[in-house]
Amino acid sequence: MTYAVETIDLTRVFKRGKSTIKALDNVNISIRKGEIFGLLGPNGAGKTTLIRILATLLLPTSGEAYVNGYDVIKEPDKVREIINIVSGGERAGYGILTVRENLWYYSQLYGYGWREGWKKVDELINLLDMKDFANVRLNRLSTGMIQKYNLARGLINDPKILFLDEPTLGLDVEVARYIRKIIKNLVRENPDKTILLTTHYMAEAEQLCDRIAIIHKGRIIAEGTSDDLKHMVSKEKIFKVEVRGIVGALDYIRKINGVKALTYKGDIVTGVTSIRLVLSDNDLISKIVEALNEKRFKVLSVVKVEPTLEDVFLKLVGARLVE
Amino acid sequence: MNRKFKLLFLAAFGRAYIRIVGGNRELSWILWEIILPLLMVTSVVYAYQSLGAPGEYIGFVILGGAMMSYWFNVLWGMGSSLYWEKERGNLEVFMITPAPLEGLLLGMALGGMFNTTLRASSMIIVGVLFFRAKFVFETLPTAFLIFFLTLLALYSLGMAMASLYLMYSRSGWRASELLSEPIMFLSGLYYPITVFPMILQIIASILPLTIGLDGIRRSLILGENVLDLTWHVFLLSAMIPILMVIAVKLLRYMEYKAKREGRLILRWM
Repeated sequence: MTYAVETIDLTRVFKRGKSTIKALDNVNISIRKGEIFGLLGPNGAGKTTLIRILATLLLPTSGEAYVNGYDVIKEPDKVREIINIVSGGERAGYGILTVRENLWYYSQLYGYGWREGWKKVDELINLLDMKDFANVRLNRLSTGMIQKYNLARGLINDPKILFLDEPTLGLDVEVARYIRKIIKNLVRENPDKTILLTTHYMAEAEQLCDRIAIIHKGRIIAEGTSDDLKHMVSKEKIFKVEVRGIVGALDYIRKINGVKALTYKGDIVTGVTSIRLVLSDNDLISKIVEALNEKRFKVLSVVKVEPTLEDVFLKLVGARLVE
Repeated sequence: MNRKFKLLFLAAFGRAYIRIVGGNRELSWILWEIILPLLMVTSVVYAYQSLGAPGEYIGFVILGGAMMSYWFNVLWGMGSSLYWEKERGNLEVFMITPAPLEGLLLGMALGGMFNTTLRASSMIIVGVLFFRAKFVFETLPTAFLIFFLTLLALYSLGMAMASLYLMYSRSGWRASELLSEPIMFLSGLYYPITVFPMILQIIASILPLTIGLDGIRRSLILGENVLDLTWHVFLLSAMIPILMVIAVKLLRYMEYKAKREGRLILRWM
């Protein structure tokens, strides 16, 4: 079986002066054709490095990588014909030219020619509802418009495999929702298309992806459907506790036997700290409330919640995905 | 048409279109591009006039100024353009397409030639109209032949320069600086290289700009035809394939090295 994307023991080491950084450490993934595959991990986990290798922009230090069966090292030209990348926060293009002109330029790089190029551009402008700003110079676009333009550029060659690297990064809720809808529809309407999506937004991964891999410090630490991953914390009890005041390191809670992981986030404006706990037993929560009271923190609420991918990450890594 | 060749042609066409349309969209840019370089040439013309130099020197300087525009375009417009493409993220987007990098560089070269021709033409027009520069128009085809060969050689050199930027980014500027003033000095942009000692004349003669400029001056000012300038044509024709092969090999090597070391799309360096 030919996978849309397959990596075998893929490793990439960067040298920075005398030290070395292992950005990818024996990564093995197999993405089936027609799948939306999510790569979930914090900043610096290795997501972008993986995409850059798959997109033939970077050579691996060791291991193998195939895109639609083509070797990214030996057959980069074949890989480039069938892929494209859209990155969040990307501002590639020529500011003095309009959206249409920029897209036409990219169409030439895929061999469309003059007329076919303009035709393809107009198709994408209609598809992504970009008529309002199609003739506006790129340097005058808002962040949301830029990302729609980026997506149009990413679809210009009708790629079989699309790499989306944090595509909704920095976008407002409405535009992010729109971009996600387009991604979802794209695969629904073209079942032969495959998407590799990197994100650190768990909701996005859950909403869009058929399967998800969690990457941390260059290693894939878990892989499966969203339900498979959540099943990893099915035995644990997840609680969300809100307390008045900004708490410290909470080491006295971590030390309680049965506390598997915890994270907390203080809101300076409201003065409330939200603590998320992964516990082995329901009864432990009373001990925790007691410990907080002893430290003179007023407990505002205690809620038992359904596990999320955040809890999976928390259990596996011991830290929050998004700090 | 072979797919690779088609992509090379279309990438060059697309990039040249961007450079020409983008570079001339603002009228003020065109004026600056034309007026400022004229000042340098004008000052040299006045210097010669005040020294009572023969009238041929005016045409001599005008042609030198025009050719200097092309050389600066090769050094700064083509070589360092790749640096800016990298910084803006355009190189990354280009490199994931199947279009060959040579197409991007060829497009930059063609677009740059077009824009520089506007500048160079304005110099010649100003030289003829205001300074009464005299040219022999009967030998124009010879001048064009040498001009065309010179551009091919210079832009091949530009492609080799660009590959340095691919790998070393901003540090590539040092190479451009290294080739900027010394070549202006050696190629005789504002004076005949016969003023140099023999050893310097020999060194200067291996530069395509020196040979091209000398050939164009001889044809347009002294009226020499292609038979008188066979040596110039031969040398330039021999340099072009050598420089092209070097440029392509260097480009491929630097691309590989940059991908291996992770510098291909590394910004802020």
